[in-house]
Amino acid sequence: MIGALLSVSGLEGQRPLRRNLWGLVGDSVLLGIGFALLVPFLRALMEDRLGDATTWLLVMTGLLAGYAVLRYATQLAGYRAAIALGRTLFARLGTHIARLPLGWFGVERVGQIGHLTSQGVIDVIGVPAHLLRPLISALVTPATVILLMFLFDWRLALAALITTPLIALAYRWTGRLTARSDHGVHAAGTEAAGRLVEFAQAQPILRAFGESQRGLGTLDAALRASHAAARAQMLAVASGLVGMVAVVQLTFTVLLLFGANLALGGEIDAAEFVALLVLAVRYVEPLLGAAELGGALRIARNSVERMDALLATPPLPEPATPRPPEGAEIRFDGVHFAYDTRPVLEDLSFTAPERAMTAIVGPSGSGKTTVLRLIARFWDAGQGAVRIGGVDVRDIGTEALMARISVVFQDVYLFDGTIAENIRLGRPEATEAEVAEAARLARVEEIAARLPGGLEAAVGEGGAILSGGERQRVSIARAILKNAPIVLLDEATSALDPVNELGVQAALRALTRDKTLVVVAHRLQTVRAADRIVVLDAGCVVEEGRHDDLLALGGRYAAFWNERHRAAGWHLAPAR
Amino acid sequence: MVTAAAPDRSIEADPRGRGTQPSATATLLAPVRRRLIVACVVQAIAAVAGVVPFIAVAEIGRALLADNPVDTSGSGLGVWWIAGLAVAALALRLICLLGAGALTHFADVDLQLDLRRRMAAHLTQVPLGWFDARSAGLIKTALQDDVKALHHLVGHAYVNLISAATTPIVALAYLFWIDWRLTLIALLPVLGGVVLYALQYRGYGENMAAYTRELGAVNAAAVEFVQGIAVIKTFGRARQAYGRFIERTSAFVEFFWNWMRGLLAISAAAEVILSPLAALLTALAGGLVLVSAGAMAAIDVIPFAVLAPALTAPFLTLAYSQNELMLATKAADRIAELLATKTLPHPGEGRRPVDARVVFDRVSFAYDDRTEVLHEIDLVLEPGTLTALVGPSGSGKSTLARLLPRFWDVGAGSISIGGVDIREMTPETLYRSAAFVFQHVQLLQTTIGENIALGRPDATAAEIEAAARAAQIHDRIAELPRGYASVAGQDARLSGGEAQRISIARAILADAPVLVLDEATAFADPEAEAAIQTALSDLVAGRTVLVIAHRLHTVTEANAICVMDEGRIVERGRHGALLAAGGLYARLWEASEAALTSRAEAAQ
Repeated sequence: MIGALLSVSGLEGQRPLRRNLWGLVGDSVLLGIGFALLVPFLRALMEDRLGDATTWLLVMTGLLAGYAVLRYATQLAGYRAAIALGRTLFARLGTHIARLPLGWFGVERVGQIGHLTSQGVIDVIGVPAHLLRPLISALVTPATVILLMFLFDWRLALAALITTPLIALAYRWTGRLTARSDHGVHAAGTEAAGRLVEFAQAQPILRAFGESQRGLGTLDAALRASHAAARAQMLAVASGLVGMVAVVQLTFTVLLLFGANLALGGEIDAAEFVALLVLAVRYVEPLLGAAELGGALRIARNSVERMDALLATPPLPEPATPRPPEGAEIRFDGVHFAYDTRPVLEDLSFTAPERAMTAIVGPSGSGKTTVLRLIARFWDAGQGAVRIGGVDVRDIGTEALMARISVVFQDVYLFDGTIAENIRLGRPEATEAEVAEAARLARVEEIAARLPGGLEAAVGEGGAILSGGERQRVSIARAILKNAPIVLLDEATSALDPVNELGVQAALRALTRDKTLVVVAHRLQTVRAADRIVVLDAGCVVEEGRHDDLLALGGRYAAFWNERHRAAGWHLAPAR
Repeated sequence: MVTAAAPDRSIEADPRGRGTQPSATATLLAPVRRRLIVACVVQAIAAVAGVVPFIAVAEIGRALLADNPVDTSGSGLGVWWIAGLAVAALALRLICLLGAGALTHFADVDLQLDLRRRMAAHLTQVPLGWFDARSAGLIKTALQDDVKALHHLVGHAYVNLISAATTPIVALAYLFWIDWRLTLIALLPVLGGVVLYALQYRGYGENMAAYTRELGAVNAAAVEFVQGIAVIKTFGRARQAYGRFIERTSAFVEFFWNWMRGLLAISAAAEVILSPLAALLTALAGGLVLVSAGAMAAIDVIPFAVLAPALTAPFLTLAYSQNELMLATKAADRIAELLATKTLPHPGEGRRPVDARVVFDRVSFAYDDRTEVLHEIDLVLEPGTLTALVGPSGSGKSTLARLLPRFWDVGAGSISIGGVDIREMTPETLYRSAAFVFQHVQLLQTTIGENIALGRPDATAAEIEAAARAAQIHDRIAELPRGYASVAGQDARLSGGEAQRISIARAILADAPVLVLDEATAFADPEAEAAIQTALSDLVAGRTVLVIAHRLHTVTEANAICVMDEGRIVERGRHGALLAAGGLYARLWEASEAALTSRAEAAQ
């Protein structure tokens, strides 16, 4: 655990941690010595040597004072170490996340990282702040006590020492039993959680078909399985816990009986007997205390492991000497790409000419969106190369590449701020007038007009107060302000109401003028207007050309066009 | 030994919460209350048995040191008797600890199952709209994580409290019997500890609230950083966004530091004064003074040397487990809140509709008792007709349609099918009368066949297949590895458009006379659009249909088009008449036509 902590804390974070460790060892030793002095004190008191007893008591008080000072100092150092660790972790995680390939950020990752970079960090810095002390003290104090017991009576000390491996064994055994049944509990818990989510999500459907009781049935089976797993774990772990408590009690019993025997035989005096048994308690109690820290430590260790894994995810490589592209022509040269092992693009080659519109069409799963993602380097191609202006995107450098590209996604994310702030993100140094002009061109001013505060109205977290079409217009205004030579557009599949639809289209018209435009197209009008149409199927280009030529060809594109054309003219007819 | 005691102050909860909280928690725990009480009694026995060996050690010491020891054999006999008693007490303690632990832990898992069942059953009764405001993740948190968080409360808190109270009481009683003056002195550190803890917890509430707020800000910054990462990077703003993240985290670290730093002196003092060594020293010093003054026999100091550390031990463990207890109490509150969510009232015995005529009679509705989103809507769906709801987004058309399947109940007015108010129907009758195809398609993790037969579990394989054929999805199902027995999400991975057709097949099979349809499925799977349309045409045939239309040209043939704006139906009529009227509908139509042509120009 401590090794793992040192590894995530980076070089500069290690020194305060190490210094803190030594301080903690020091105060635990003082505490141990303080307890051990009970033996000479009691002996002096019983033998009526009150002067000696007073001396020993003063020494003990001195030790307590030393302990108090050291305790304060180490706690302060512990907080310092925790704070330093916190800063380091936040900074390292933040830097690394910013350098990861965009494609890495899936939906489920967002929640995980949000948790890891907030509560996760808290859990980890809790180790130097709060957990390290009881842990160190639980090991060092008993060790000191037992060493000093040897000074007073080696037989009792040996008896106590012998039981140590038994306690350790019982502890590890319990841990192993827990770990083994953890798996079953976790599996059953995951299944139950999945069923719960399904049950909640499917409520409309289940109820709309009068079936909510049946949904309850499958959920109940999962809940019962989870219950059974938890009971089984308890029975399994119980034997371990019994062993643990039994060993500890056995230690005490042995010392009690053995000590009584020695005392009755006159081999130790009564004062020693009492003092040594008090020491025995001081020896055993912290060990059990350490066992109770297990849960918090496990949580911290899990967080550390996940941070390690995150930090080990390779970031997007940056070129040593970035090369600026010449022009904005986009070219795919024999590109292969696979998500994990599932191939998406296979030997894909095509060119999107400069200052022209290239539409990408094809059935779902044919790799259309992946094409856009490779241009913007969400991922890197497995084989082959994506080139802009003749330069491999991997040689351009992230900042230079991003400066040349505007991406309009289907799902728009707005930051919790004003509309103007969100637009300004496109070019922070833009003037008020330029922001207002972008807002006008993207028809955002119409939206602003109905909001209190206009462009200065807050959009809420993720842009919550705006509708999907409105968010899209804000994101287009942002791209207009940025004015990059290349525009990548993932056309929305969902239907907008006519007013919004018109607004979005006006905004796009302003954005894409004189740009190199690559669009994943769903609307017939968009496709028809393209300078070049690339038809994809299963990750390959199957047809390529202009609308009229492709239609005349009578192949895949013609079939697609006719089908969609028929669909566009469809309407719901009432019963006759 | 008092070792395994990890006490906390669960029941003596803070006085502020006394009004409502204990009752909420008590109600939740009612099913296992008896078992918890038994466990507490058993735990108390264990705690008493745990003090006995300490007393035994002290008594053996006293017996050995007794001023005029009787003959050695007699004293030896006494010593062995005491030792035997100690061993017996230890054995009893082991058994009782196990018993209490088993009782509380089994009570805990049983309670978890019971609570989850109660919550799930409750969820089937709350208005469907309730789910809209909460993500499935939140519901999962309540049912899974919050219930789990009760573990500390049920499994540990109560028995630990009993332990923490019993151990010092027994020890104190024994010590008082030995020497009451030294007992009072030995209690001094406890007094000091109490005062210091009180000082430490002054302002704890505000600080804790600030902590939660700061941590929330960090979490929000992290989520924003990650969620917006694509925007951040594509606009070359990674450094700035990162700066913002670091800024928030630094603020948090700063706050945490100041808080801890401010408490440090007091908390360190409290821990030192309550440490076993300080307790021991206090008792020994007091003993030394009393012995020096001749007010006490030296051997009577021995019990204090043995038991003094046990007096302060509960406080330290109390402090450690407080956080967990607070989390458990919060979780209990959330569970109680969920269980207290108002459910939709259902009649015991419902009335049956006579036909498929649907009437919205002066329907008003508000989501939050303040802003009304629907105002006195009157709408009649004649049997066998197609009625379309159109209008700008936010006009209330989806809300109106969702009142029919009782996502919520109307605020004022009524909705009836076949002459019967839907609130007077049993759910079965309502859902047999009306079927719904929603924008968001949900397939259950079960076989495709069962997914289709959801509305009619008794349907034959032939009927299921017929519905699938009508919904244009049979061929795709036949291609699956196990056909209709393939399980959705496992060996049947369907695209959005395919799932949509499964849901249409579902509605076809359910064969309800009234159908509510959300047409926003338009481009869900553009390639399959034609197939979906064919399926929909088949579905609406012969039914009373209410459709939420997003693309105007799909409903030009409707018997009635209702144009909604700001919660009112502002125009109604057939397509041609509405167009001629030159109102909102005409403007929407114009925009829609313009959108169709402008897209083409956009690219030029």
